[in-house]
Amino acid sequence: MDAIALDRVRPRRAAPRWRDDPQALARALLAPAILYIGLLVGFPFLLALYYSVSDATVGARVFHFVGLENFRSAIENPTFWQALRNSIVFTVVSQALVVVLGKAAAMALYRPFRGRALVRFLILLPWVAPISLGAIGWLWIFDPVYSILDWVARALHLIGPDAWPIWLGQPHLAMASVILVNVWRLAPLATVIILAGMSAIPQDIHDAAAIDGAGFWRHLIRINLPLLMPVMLVALLFGVVFTFTDMIVIFVLTRGGPYDTTQVLASLAFFTGVQGGDLAGGAAIALFLFPVLAAVAIGALTLARRAEVV
Amino acid sequence: MTDPKLQPAIPVQPSEPPSERAVSRRRFIRTTGALAAAAAAGPWIAPRRARAAAKTLKILQWNHFVPAYDKWFDGTYVKEWGRKHDTEVIVDHVGIAALNSRAAAEVSAQKGHDLFMFLSPPPAYEAQVIDHREVYEEVGRHHGKPIELALRSTYNPKTKKYFAFSDSYVPDPVNYRTDLWDDVGMLPATWDDIRVGGRKIKEKHKIPVGIGLSSELDTAMATRALLYAFGGSVQDDHGNVTLDSRQTIDAVKFMRALYQEAMTPEVLAWDASSNNRAMIAGKISLALNAISITREAENKHLAIARQIALAKAAQGPARRIGLEHVMDCYVIWKFAENQDGAKRFLADYIGDFRAGFVASEFYNFPCFPATVPDLKKEIANDARAQPHDKYAVLGDVLGWATNVGYPGYANAAVDEIFNTWVVNTMFAKAATGALPPEEAVREADVQAKRIFAKWRERGFV
Repeated sequence: MDAIALDRVRPRRAAPRWRDDPQALARALLAPAILYIGLLVGFPFLLALYYSVSDATVGARVFHFVGLENFRSAIENPTFWQALRNSIVFTVVSQALVVVLGKAAAMALYRPFRGRALVRFLILLPWVAPISLGAIGWLWIFDPVYSILDWVARALHLIGPDAWPIWLGQPHLAMASVILVNVWRLAPLATVIILAGMSAIPQDIHDAAAIDGAGFWRHLIRINLPLLMPVMLVALLFGVVFTFTDMIVIFVLTRGGPYDTTQVLASLAFFTGVQGGDLAGGAAIALFLFPVLAAVAIGALTLARRAEVV
Repeated sequence: MTDPKLQPAIPVQPSEPPSERAVSRRRFIRTTGALAAAAAAGPWIAPRRARAAAKTLKILQWNHFVPAYDKWFDGTYVKEWGRKHDTEVIVDHVGIAALNSRAAAEVSAQKGHDLFMFLSPPPAYEAQVIDHREVYEEVGRHHGKPIELALRSTYNPKTKKYFAFSDSYVPDPVNYRTDLWDDVGMLPATWDDIRVGGRKIKEKHKIPVGIGLSSELDTAMATRALLYAFGGSVQDDHGNVTLDSRQTIDAVKFMRALYQEAMTPEVLAWDASSNNRAMIAGKISLALNAISITREAENKHLAIARQIALAKAAQGPARRIGLEHVMDCYVIWKFAENQDGAKRFLADYIGDFRAGFVASEFYNFPCFPATVPDLKKEIANDARAQPHDKYAVLGDVLGWATNVGYPGYANAAVDEIFNTWVVNTMFAKAATGALPPEEAVREADVQAKRIFAKWRERGFV
C-alpha cells in the first residue's frame, strides 16, 4: 500500500495550533535568535555589569560590591581618555573610508563583466579569512626592519636611501596603518551589503532616469544614494559596532603603541582586565563602549527607517 | 506534481554496467563491516600497546624560544617520567602572548591543566593556586636552597604564601656586535658607554642601538634594568610606590638622550622577537636580550654569530643590574585534578634539571644551583659558540640579575604595571619628546599609585 493510500485510511492528525497562528509562529521562529543573543550577548553583558561594580580579579571567585569605584578609577586614568579619543578617530575615519570604498566597489561590481564572480570572491576574502591571520600578514608588511612597502618605495625611488618609514613606530603612521588594515577587513562587508541594496532597485527607475537624460553624478546623487541610504546605514552600523569593539587589529599590530597612541578602549580593557588581572577595571572600561554603541545603533536604525518611509 | 516522499532515496540505474571503480552496495557493506569488526577486535588482539596509563598529568607551557628544549621535554623527558609513574603526561603549548588569557580562561572554567607555567610571576592568581611551600621544601631537602630571585618572584610576604614555584630563570645580558664596537674602540660596560659608543657607531656605520621602547616584554625588562641601574624603582622593599624620584627622572632623561643620539624610531614598533631579527640581520649594534639571538645565529650557521658577543648588565650611576629575561613560574591550580602528580613532577624535574639546562642550550638557568654544579665549567666551553667561552660571562649572573619588583617582591600591582606597559610608555613618551621627562614620570607615578591602591584594597599588597 503506498503512502497516499495510507494517508486516506488514517485520520489526519490535527496540525499544532501555533502553526496556524501567525503571531505564535513568529515567536517560534524568533526564539532561536533570541536564545542566541541572550546566551552569547545578554549573559556576558550582565556579567560585565556585575564585574564592573565589584572588585573582581582574574584570580578571585568571591567578589565584593564596590559601587562605581572602577568607573572612577578609569576616568582618573589619562590612558583611558587617550584610548577613548583613539577609538573615535579609529572608528570615524575607518568607517568613512569603508562606506566610500564599499559604494565604489559595489558600483564597479554591479554590472556584469568577464571574471566578475572571481573578482567578487577575491574582494570578499579579507572578510571571510580569520582576521588574526590577515593582521599577522600585515604585521610583516609593516615590519620595521623588513617592510615590503618601504622596500618597494625605495626600489621605485619614492623614498630616499636614508628614509625608512616606521609604519607601526610613529604615532600618525601607526594610526594610519591600523585604520588601513581595518578598512581592508571591513570594506568587503559594506560592498556586499550595498551590492544587495543596488540589486533591489527596480530597473524601471534606472531606465526612466536614462531616458530623462540623467548623467552619472545626477543618477548617483538623486537616485542611487537616496534609495541605498537604508542599506548603507545598516552597513555603517555594522562597521561602527565591529570597529569600536574590535581589538584584534590593534593587539596584533601595535599592542596600543607607540606609547598608547593607538590604544583603543577594547584593547585597554583587555590589557587591564586579562593581562593585568584587574577583571573589574577591564569590565568598567569595556562598558564605556555600551552607551556610545547604543546611541549609534538607535540613531542609525531611526535614520534608516525614515529613509525607507521617504 | 510528483510527491517527493514517494521518490526512492537512491536512483536505481539497473541498465548501467558497473564500472571497475564503482563501489557496489554489497562491496561497500562488506568492506565497512570488515573494518568495523577489525576495529572492535583490535583492542583484544593487541591490548598491551594501547593500555591506558592509570593517571593523567596535564601540563601547559609556552613554545620555548629554543625549539630543542621542547623536543627534549615533550619527546623524551615527560615520556620517561610518565612511564616511571604510570601516568599519561599531556603537554600543551601556547604562544607567549596567550599565556595570561589562557590562565584566566582556566580559572574562570575551574578546569584545565594540572601544571600551568607562566613566564613572569603570577601573584594575581594567588587565591586560585595551592601554597607551593611544600614543593619548595621537598625540593630543598634534596637540592638545597633556591636562589633569592626565585623566592622574590613567587612569595607574597603579606599572606606568607608561595603562589608559584620557579624552576628556572633566563639571564638577560647585553648582546653587542664586536666588529662595530671594536671599530670605535669601546666596550658596552656602562650605560654611558652604550650611549657614547652607540652614537659613534650610528654616525660611522648608520647602525643604531636596538633597545626596545614598545609595548612588549623585552622593552619592559630593558627599561627596568636602566631604571634600577640609575637607582630608581617602581616600589620600595615595603611595597610603597617610589617611581616619581630624581633617580627615575635621571634614567628617563638618559633614555631620551640615548634614543635621540644612538637609536631610531623602529624600536617603538618592536615585538618581543624584533631585536632578535634586527641583530641577526645586522641592523643594530646592541640589544638587551636572552641568549636566543646568539643561539639562533649559531644553529643557522650564520656568519654573524661570531660577531655577536655577550656582556654583563651595564653599570649605571647606582649599580650594575639587569633583569631576568623570563622567570619560569609553575603553578598548581586548586582545581587541578592531579595535584599530587603535579607536585611529584616538579620535584623530579628539578632533580633532572641538568638535562633541561643542556636541552635549552643554556637558555634556562637553575633556580636550585646545586642541580647544575658544573654550570660555570659547562658554559665556559661550549663547542657551538665562537669563541667557545662566549657564554662564560653569564657565570656570575646572580650577582647582577634581579626580579621585576626590585627591591621588593613581585606582587599583583607590580604585575599589572608590568603587563599594562606603564614603565615602557613612560620611557617612550619622554624619549620621543611626547612629554617632558618630569611629566612622563609624574604621569606614570599617578598610574602606579592608582594600581597599587586598588590591589592594596583587595588585600594583595
